[in-house]
Amino acid sequence: MDPDFRGDIDHHDGTSDAVPGGYVEKRRPGELGFAIFLTLASLGLLYSAYGISGFEALSSPGSVPMATTLAMVISAIIVALRTAKLPKVADETLSKDILPVMVIVFVGFLILFGVLLKPLGFLPTSALFLVAAFKLLSRKSWGYSVTIAFASLLVIWLVFRIVFTVLLPAGIVPEAEFIQIFRNLLSGKG
Amino acid sequence: METILAILTVFTQPQLLLLVGVGTFAGIYIGAIPGLSVTMAVSILISFTFSWDVLPAISLMVGIYMGGVYGGSRTAILLNIPGAPSAIATAMDGYPMAQKGEAGQAIGVTTVMSFFGGLIGILVLALAAPFVSEFALTFQPRDYMLLAVLGILLVGSLSSGSLVKGIFAGAFGIAIGAVGRDPLTFAERFTFDFKIMEGGISFIAVMIGMFGVSEALQQLQNVNMKSVRQKIDRIVPSFGTIKKFLPLSLQTSAIGVIIGALPGTGGDIAALMAYDHAKRVTKNPEVPFGKGAMEGLVAPETANNAAVGGAFIPMMTLGIPGDAVTAIMIGALFIHGLNPGPMLMVDQPDMFWFIVGALLTSNVFMLIFGLTGIKIFTKIVEMPRSIIIPLILLLSIVGGYAVNNSITDVYWMLGFGVFGYFMRHYGYPLGPVILGVILSRLLDDNWRRAIISEREDLGRFFEGIVTSPLSLVLFISVILIFVSQTPLWTSMKNRLFGKAMS
Amino acid sequence: MSRKLIGAIVALGLSATFATAQNYPAKEIQGIIQWGAGGSTDTVMRSVTPHAEEALGGTVVMQNMTGAVGAIALNYVLDAEADGYTVLMGAENPLLYKIMGLGDEDYSAFTPINLLARGTPLLVANIDAPFDDYAGMLAYIAENPGELKVGATGPGGLPSVITAMMNTVEGELDVIAVPYDGDGPALTALQGGAIDVMPAVLGAAIEGVRAGNMKPILVFDTETNATLPDVQIATDANAGYETYLPWGPFFGVFVKNGTPDDVVAALTVAYAKGAENEEFVSLMDGRGFTMMNISGQEATEFLTKWQQGTAWLLDDAGLTKASPEEFGIARPGE
Repeated sequence: MDPDFRGDIDHHDGTSDAVPGGYVEKRRPGELGFAIFLTLASLGLLYSAYGISGFEALSSPGSVPMATTLAMVISAIIVALRTAKLPKVADETLSKDILPVMVIVFVGFLILFGVLLKPLGFLPTSALFLVAAFKLLSRKSWGYSVTIAFASLLVIWLVFRIVFTVLLPAGIVPEAEFIQIFRNLLSGKG
Repeated sequence: METILAILTVFTQPQLLLLVGVGTFAGIYIGAIPGLSVTMAVSILISFTFSWDVLPAISLMVGIYMGGVYGGSRTAILLNIPGAPSAIATAMDGYPMAQKGEAGQAIGVTTVMSFFGGLIGILVLALAAPFVSEFALTFQPRDYMLLAVLGILLVGSLSSGSLVKGIFAGAFGIAIGAVGRDPLTFAERFTFDFKIMEGGISFIAVMIGMFGVSEALQQLQNVNMKSVRQKIDRIVPSFGTIKKFLPLSLQTSAIGVIIGALPGTGGDIAALMAYDHAKRVTKNPEVPFGKGAMEGLVAPETANNAAVGGAFIPMMTLGIPGDAVTAIMIGALFIHGLNPGPMLMVDQPDMFWFIVGALLTSNVFMLIFGLTGIKIFTKIVEMPRSIIIPLILLLSIVGGYAVNNSITDVYWMLGFGVFGYFMRHYGYPLGPVILGVILSRLLDDNWRRAIISEREDLGRFFEGIVTSPLSLVLFISVILIFVSQTPLWTSMKNRLFGKAMS
Repeated sequence: MSRKLIGAIVALGLSATFATAQNYPAKEIQGIIQWGAGGSTDTVMRSVTPHAEEALGGTVVMQNMTGAVGAIALNYVLDAEADGYTVLMGAENPLLYKIMGLGDEDYSAFTPINLLARGTPLLVANIDAPFDDYAGMLAYIAENPGELKVGATGPGGLPSVITAMMNTVEGELDVIAVPYDGDGPALTALQGGAIDVMPAVLGAAIEGVRAGNMKPILVFDTETNATLPDVQIATDANAGYETYLPWGPFFGVFVKNGTPDDVVAALTVAYAKGAENEEFVSLMDGRGFTMMNISGQEATEFLTKWQQGTAWLLDDAGLTKASPEEFGIARPGE
């Protein structure tokens, strides 16, 4: 076994952080591409770090960024070269093991969530997300998905919005007015 | 005698006892929810307890602080999402235990060890506060820098896969920490002229994304797999177990107190350093580190709770906060008409002893609440994946938003979540990224302070290291740890001691 | 669920009908604090607001929004509606954003509700420093050029302004400026001997001075300070300081320009009442802040004068990214 490898050879999917996925002597689909991407990105960052202040002084704001991005470039190149030499894993494909449809769908959900969060507001966006996600994953009835989605959303909303007064984006739901009515009712002013 | 009375104030007034209990209970849950931080809870409490007397207000805050530091371990063990930064190291071995159905046992050990660490921290606070604070003050910028370098060398023990990939991840983390306007000169770094990047990238957003979102995406692949049944007998660890870990927990508690007492470093760094220490001194763990080693729970959990007591040391003796939470408490004491500072101990020693008493009480409550209700908690992991995955994602989003009320943070969190997903698949460890982000400022700022103080002269800089005993000790530790991680040393060690050892 | 829906519809109806100022505040108000929890801006705002809430009869939910020297919070409030439901709780920093190249907006886009209090700068030294007063410090700098370490908090921060003032009044001082990210960490470093002197706001240094952990050198004010009556004041040390003093960081509550007048009036009355509260006043005294409690025209004039004086001082010291002239900031007295 590679003395550099201290992980668990049985886990290739990285099910826990302490045990990252991947194989020692083989490369997974897309691994080389990822390594090359990291190398290019590191080079870009190194260039950007150089742009902060150049070699002006030891204490310049760019000195530590330059040192760290240089470390990134060197380590990324070593990883890429090593990966390139390894044989491919025979029984894995990109679409089956790395990016199955479900993962792509959920990444799409998350992007949609980010786009809708501000204009639509937290409550409607989350409700849509939860209902769709539960329905898709559990394959049970709509009623089941909707009930669980609303129940859990209510709990999350109560904890964050009411107890911890985190002002989640209100969007189209007049949350603040709604809460004020309750406040007034409670204080007898309403 | 008066001292004892002051410590016991909490018990003489049922109201205070109740508040410490409520605070601890709330703290555990606040700590457990990613994105809700103790810092945030305590600062909300400042306005909330504004009209109260000072003792009840402090009781509640102390409870939340103690409970919150402990609570972060819950979600780290059960879901692999550290509820608080100080629980990152706990996830390394806690989550593998939960995957084997040993979540109950993991929480049990964590609770008892948190209690133990907390106790040590409080004892040091009570008995040696002036001494420790004087020691903490002697840390110069170059010492903080060396401490950060020492921390960065932990990459070695945090990357269980390829070391080169670990180095990449660590350097990447340091670069993430540098994004935004540099706090010392306001120069823009890695902002690419985008306005939204000027504020930098929230460390919590990176943490929640890398651990929470990427874990949830990962789990999508086995959504139909049966959840692991959790064994919930044997929650309280046996006396033998505790005795076995006693030497280790004493050492890691000491690390926690000192790192906690240093202004600018807190439980997160303490826990990671303790984890590394445990890995170094434990020759033959029953289960390997990273697969559910008990030592990997004992070390960070004793250290981060010991850091609580440590953080109070400079606060009570000098009026200098040991971390973000004590900074807010100083503000709270001001609002209640006290002047936290070096004179507080002289003018109002009762206040000091009251806080010691409240911390002790809270520590006990933590043990009680921690060991009860584990059954309900472990039920979380037994929930069907089809329900838990969307909930983790939603909670991550809310948590990422709540840290700084910023949608930008949510985008970062999602981005790092997807990136982390690929890192996991291709064997890049995530721990070093977080380590890098945590240590980035400590390293960068103090390096620059140190070299500016020496007028940009490297010769004078090294002269300073050699002539100061503290710097010299730190410097030698850095070199020793660095050398011990290189292959050259390993082969030399085998040649020298190989025969004698086997 | 249906009850909630009805509630929401009722709320929508109510807010549409009564969202005029007679009913202000009809919902909770967001108070955006520019600085982090536990800082002095945070402490001041969290202690005055409960009193103002009482006078206002509403709820102010305070949020810390940090980053980019407060510019993130400022822009957030600017992006919100000018309806008085998003309030900026800030310090002096935005007045320097333009010349420091930190942003394109400052308080000129805002209506001041109340400028609560002003801090007094105090020069403190490490307890083992080889001098005890201002004259001694100047002599030490002259004899040991480039050796004295002065704490700083980045361009535009209080130490940079005070150092610029000293350089202008006393001629270039050859010292090393060691940057910290706030006066708290810098004062800690001062006690540990990592830096020798530090210009800090009086309130932050006062407890250390009282305990004898640091030496007060000079109070940057025109009048003797009640808290430190024995410490020399700047205008006594050198009459040249009279041009720039009194000067100090301040805390204020602001709303976006274009907020209805009656809403501004309601908030102004509430915060003026809050700032008169005895508890708050004694708290500010204890921290060494000078109460201002000014609003309206008076506040606007104060802001203009502050910005002119400070901007040109920094510009003359060569610390700015852009000349104040570019932004129409007139030189004081012109």
